[in-house]
Amino acid sequence: MNAVVLGLGRLWAIALNTFREATRNRVLYVLVLFAVGLMAFSVVLGELSLHEEVRVIKDIGLAGISLVGLVIALFLGVNLLSKELDKKTVYFVIPKPLHRHEFLLGKFLGLAVTLVVLVVLMAAILGIVLSFEGGSHDLALVRAEILVLCELLLVTAVALLFSSFSSPYLSAMFTGSLWIIGRNSAELRAFATSKKLEGTPLGTLLEGAAAVLPDFHLFYVSGASLGGAAPVSVHDSFIGWGYIAEAGLYAALYGGVCLLLAMVLLARRDFT
Amino acid sequence: MAAVLEVDALAKTFVRGLLRKRTVALRGVSFAVEAGEIFGFLGPNGAGKTTTIKILMGLIFPTSGSARVLGRAVGDRAAKQRVGYLPENPYFYDYLTPIELLDMVGRLHGIAGGERRRRGLALLERVGLGDAARRPLRSFSKGMLQRAGLAQALVAQPDVVVLDEPMSGLDPIGRKEVRDLIVELRDKGTTVFFSTHILSDATMLCDRVAIVVDGELRETGPLGELLSPTVQYVDLVWSGPESLAGELEGEHTTTSEGRVLRLPDVATAQRALAAILAKGGEVRELLPHRQSLEELFVSEAKAAGRARE
Repeated sequence: MNAVVLGLGRLWAIALNTFREATRNRVLYVLVLFAVGLMAFSVVLGELSLHEEVRVIKDIGLAGISLVGLVIALFLGVNLLSKELDKKTVYFVIPKPLHRHEFLLGKFLGLAVTLVVLVVLMAAILGIVLSFEGGSHDLALVRAEILVLCELLLVTAVALLFSSFSSPYLSAMFTGSLWIIGRNSAELRAFATSKKLEGTPLGTLLEGAAAVLPDFHLFYVSGASLGGAAPVSVHDSFIGWGYIAEAGLYAALYGGVCLLLAMVLLARRDFT
Repeated sequence: MAAVLEVDALAKTFVRGLLRKRTVALRGVSFAVEAGEIFGFLGPNGAGKTTTIKILMGLIFPTSGSARVLGRAVGDRAAKQRVGYLPENPYFYDYLTPIELLDMVGRLHGIAGGERRRRGLALLERVGLGDAARRPLRSFSKGMLQRAGLAQALVAQPDVVVLDEPMSGLDPIGRKEVRDLIVELRDKGTTVFFSTHILSDATMLCDRVAIVVDGELRETGPLGELLSPTVQYVDLVWSGPESLAGELEGEHTTTSEGRVLRLPDVATAQRALAAILAKGGEVRELLPHRQSLEELFVSEAKAAGRARE
């Protein structure tokens, strides 16, 4: 029991440091200000619409949280390990009484805490903006924000995996590419199983890729017809908690595999 | 008693780049550091000192051979708990303040909150950073970072401290303070292993040294045993009538101290001394010169160079 508590203490020490690093980075504040600016701008856009102010604010606000969150997850995720190597801070941390995998998990945990705080902060600002226009930050919006958070955590895990063996630029490129492909996984599957490609080596390859690559489309449900029901919308018939749990489990499992691979890669790496 | 640090036939070859270029950094280095001693790990730049230390600290893996820390395999968490380490040219999280840095290290060692704070503040005072405890590390000079590095290495009150070039970047006062700190640690029973190429520091501090050149261990042992006790020459600083100079055998030079006569051995020096005194001259200093660590170091480096050729 004591060993578990001490282990958690070490994880928290690294996580706290990662959180401090992120929150003392001015770029982060610029990005959050951008999201706030976007929400403020949505009020102006809402005024131009025909009595759809709340709808516009919700749509743009959610898009802002998602976009800014993605940039932050990518920016911080790909730099998480490479910065330690570039700045040689890893020479100071690794000889301390912690395992290499604890170091990696602590870094991820710190970034996860940072993202949770940021999403909650931006969601709170969105709630305030909505209340000015007579709207409310309802449970459908909360579910949408949880989906965004799950997506961001998965992006971070993927970025961390790439950053464990490649440069920040390559890691950003790989992670960004996977995010774009993953967001379009439904189209990729449809293309792979189309009449032209079905049964061909390329079709099989694309189907395999769609199955193996992270399915970020799971976290972007707006407008989709899940289970043949009416198109999903945060404004009326949004997904339930069951779907959130499924998507969360997917993010946890896929992200867990990414972290596991990163741990394996880090375990035998020379810090020269 | 088991060695505190032990390396056995340690070899490391780095393979770099697409062309798999190989660089041999260590070629079968073996030595052991005993409990309670100050052990100097000496060698010129690029000799393999930092590579050895990085292997001991679990930062890199040996190509062959083995290393043990406090009787356990490198990387063992329980052993790491009892080791303090100062990297060469230390880099820390520059957005932290020294007290936050020490707090983080204390957390990693599982030290309770109040005790972390108490030790952190006391150590910062000890290394002369008491006034800068809440300044971000990014505003620190190289010497101040070195001091912060020493403080973080001591937070857990380790049984053994490994210091990679601890005097690097320090002014003479700072170097003296670090030397005092190292002696203080030894007096408290802490084993100190440090690398340096500043030989005067090693001469003043070390119980034993190891000299590594070009990835090979050339010498290891107590300084008294490594350095020849034989007097190599004697310098005699004297003054007296000009005519006397012609009568004295040896190599004559003049320095700000006066006339210096270099004599090949003690017997010749005794004869010269008697002659100067008999002719009314004055002897100001008589300096027998034994082999210095610097001379041993240079001869080992040259021998390694010849062996390579």
